[in-house]
Order: sequence, then C-alpha cells, then structure tokens
Amino acid sequence: MDNSKEDFKIQSFDLETQNLLKTALKEPSTVDLEKVSRILVDQSLKDPLFSKEAGRICYTIVQTEATCNSNVFRRNLLNRLQVEFKAREETRLRSVHEWVCFITFICNVFHYLKINNMPMVALVHPVYDCLDRLAQPDALSNEEEVDCLVLQLHRIGDQLEKMNGPRMDELFHLLRDGFLLQQGLSSMTRLLLLETLECRAGGWVLSDTAQKYYYSEVTD
Amino acid sequence: MSFRHKSRGTDAEYKGDENRNGGSMKWSNCRKRGADGSMRSKGDVDSITSDLKKINPTHRHPDNRPVSFTTPESEGPVSRCADWGSEVESDEMRSSVRRDMQRYRRRILAADFGPRERTNSSGSSDSRDSPVPGEGMEDDEEVLMRRQKQINYGKNTLAYDRYIKEVPKHLRQPGHPKTPNKFKKYSRRSWDQQIKLWKVKLHAWDPPAQEGSELQAIEEVDLDDVMDIELEFPEIDPDLTTQPPRVSKASSSQVDSSHGTPSKLMKIDASVDLDVA
Repeated sequence: MDNSKEDFKIQSFDLETQNLLKTALKEPSTVDLEKVSRILVDQSLKDPLFSKEAGRICYTIVQTEATCNSNVFRRNLLNRLQVEFKAREETRLRSVHEWVCFITFICNVFHYLKINNMPMVALVHPVYDCLDRLAQPDALSNEEEVDCLVLQLHRIGDQLEKMNGPRMDELFHLLRDGFLLQQGLSSMTRLLLLETLECRAGGWVLSDTAQKYYYSEVTD
Repeated sequence: MSFRHKSRGTDAEYKGDENRNGGSMKWSNCRKRGADGSMRSKGDVDSITSDLKKINPTHRHPDNRPVSFTTPESEGPVSRCADWGSEVESDEMRSSVRRDMQRYRRRILAADFGPRERTNSSGSSDSRDSPVPGEGMEDDEEVLMRRQKQINYGKNTLAYDRYIKEVPKHLRQPGHPKTPNKFKKYSRRSWDQQIKLWKVKLHAWDPPAQEGSELQAIEEVDLDDVMDIELEFPEIDPDLTTQPPRVSKASSSQVDSSHGTPSKLMKIDASVDLDVA
C-alpha cells in the first residue's frame, strides 16, 4: 500500500512543505509533527482531492512513528480533527465545500488508521454524527453533500456498521425517508440514494445486475 | 436544530425524531398487506409494527421508540468529552492488553497440556504437577492497563533500547533487569516495588553521560531517585528480586504447585519482549 512514497499527492505543496512531508514520512522523529499534522488537516479542508487520500499519508506517518513507540502525530491529528468536528455546524454554514472536505478527510482517516486492526472507536460516533447530518433534508437537497455522503458509505459503510449496527439502521431510516418522502430531490440524488440503499441491502456489495443498471454507459 | 429547509415539502418536512417515526408509520398505513403478506384489516393501521411487537415484545422501549433510536449499551463508559488523542491511546492499550491476555491464556493451556500428557503416560498422578490454569492470573483490565503503562514508561527509555541490544535474551543472567510479569497476582505495593527495581537495574544501561548536556541533566535527577531506592533495598522481599531462573527442586507440594507457573511466566515474558524489541 505504501510502497511508493512519490505516490502521495503532495505536489500541490510548496517545495519546502513537500520536503517536510517527505521527511515526516521517512523519519518522523526528526520533524515537528504537530506542524505536519496541521499542514495535512489544513490542506485537506481546502482540497477535496487531497482529503480523499490524506488518510494514507497519515497512516504511513503513524506507522513509522509507532516503531519508535511514539504517537505525537496521531495525537495531534486526532485532537485537531476533534476541534474541527466541534465547529462543524459553523463550518457548514460558512462553506459547504470545506464541510464536505472535512467529512471526506475524517472518513478517510477512519478508513486508514487502525488500532490493532480495528477502526478507532473514538471516531465511530463522530463519523456517524457527520453522516447523519448529511442525511438531513437540507443537506440532501444539495448534491455536493449527497455525493459526499454516498461516497463515504460505499467506502466505510461496512466497517461502520460492524462497529455500531444500530446507528447504521438509524442513518438508513433517514436515507429511506429522504428517498421516499422528500420533495424536490433531483433524480441524480434519488439515484445515488437508491444505489446506496441497494448496496447496503446486498451486504455492502452491489449485485451484478444493479451494477449494470447504475453504471453501464450504454443502454440497449 | 436549525436546519435550513430548502424544500417546503409537506410530509417531507422533518420535525425531529418523533416525526421521523411518524413518517414511516404513515407509509406503512398505505400498504394493503402486512409484512407476512396477508391482507390487513381496515382498523389495523399499525399491523407491521404490531407484528414486530408480537415477534419480539422487548424490541421496543417503554417510551415506544424502536431500539435503534437508543444508544446501545456499550462495554465500558463511553466518554465523549475526553480528547480523541487520549481516547485512542487508551483504546490502543486496552486492546493490546486484551490481546496479550489471550496469548497468555493460550500459553497457559499449551504449557498445561504438554506436561500433563507426559506425566499421564509415565503413570504418575498429575494432580501434583499440573498448574491450575488461571491460578494467580491477574485479569482485571484496569490493573493490567495501569501496569502496562508503567512497563511502557520503562521500555520507552534509551537505557532499555541499549539493554535489549547489548544483552540478547539467551545471555541474560539473574542479575539482569527483567520486566515484571503483569499477569501475576501481586499486591499493588509489591508490583510498584518490582517496577522500581526493574527501572533501577535498567539505569545501568543509560547512555554515557558525556553524550549531551541536556540528557545529562535528566540523568542526574534520575540518579538521585536511584539512590533513594537503593536505600530502601533491604526492606524488599528477597523473593521478588530473585525471580529469574530459580530452578526449584523442592518437593514440598506448596513450592511445587507454584513451580509450574513461574517457569511459564518467563517463557511468556520472552515472547512479549521479543515483540516489543
């Protein structure tokens, strides 16, 4: 997974920051990891592409740091995430873009960072809180948020459900209600919601026929 | 809740949890058939949910909410105000302690089965030799977490790194530092003393003082500590300090029954240490 460090999308940073990150990936103990975590979160909140992949960078740094029995980076990363989480409603009002980036990032971190091969319990409720928020009517009427919601569910839905089934049930109540009852949803939104409902119903895998239905470009 | 409702839909409008329930109820109302496929009687507006109630009467809460609406009971106290960094750290330690505990139990079983078979085949009674599995094992998670933390502090030192590098397992002597076994039953006082002694012994592998001035300052403070502890030394139960390869040939049943356990403990320690090293 982390065989090619060049693979990390860090080209968007200035040269100095790129070097800092490269060092952080190789020898975390030699750099200011608080600063590194700050840079990574800041960038994630701005750049949607980066927020999708930043979890991998975090994972690599955490792993490398752990070999020296240290977890400065993880601690700083999580506590910063927590600050952002607390301010999420303001963030959403200020900028939906940033809010979507935040959710993408926290879900990506949830996806990559494991504790003894298990997802981090501390993030389960917060991630659900974010997704629940995306499933509220006002968010469902915004395609950017719906897109984010279904993407996260496809990616980490099964892990989340394993960690806390009842909350996934609750979330899917919201999705069904949204799909069935909410007026004025775009057909794209309905399609995404229906696909997600089918995906979970099939044990987080789309059946072949459903796959064909949703993804084949040509229809006969 | 101050959601901006963009859609002014009629029944689509959310007014909180209570309404969300009502929503699905309303939907079930339009159905002609119940969940079992049979036609619903006209008055039976709630047959789907009432069917559920029949199947599983405890499925609902006294205030009539479905179970999924309540926070599920978790194993421990879930604090959502602690900072995530510390929360994850203590989770990590907890799950490591659990994993170690499983490993330890497996070892006890393995060690228990091996010798027992031999004694059986030689015809001698196994009641004397076989250790009681789990006997004296500390399985209080809180205690184990506390002990692990103390061990981690000791292991997270330059001295420890140097020690495990310079003295490989097979060269260790009774006088060498030996990580206390967190799974044995000890009084708090005894445990703390063992940790203290272990740390004192580890200090022998402190890096040479000339390496850095900052480091040196810290070391000097620690040395004072060491002196203190060394003064206390005579008070300690000698049993605790001579833990290592004590081959007991005694035949008194009391010593014998404890004989099995310490030798196993050493084996386990070895594996745990190896992991960390």
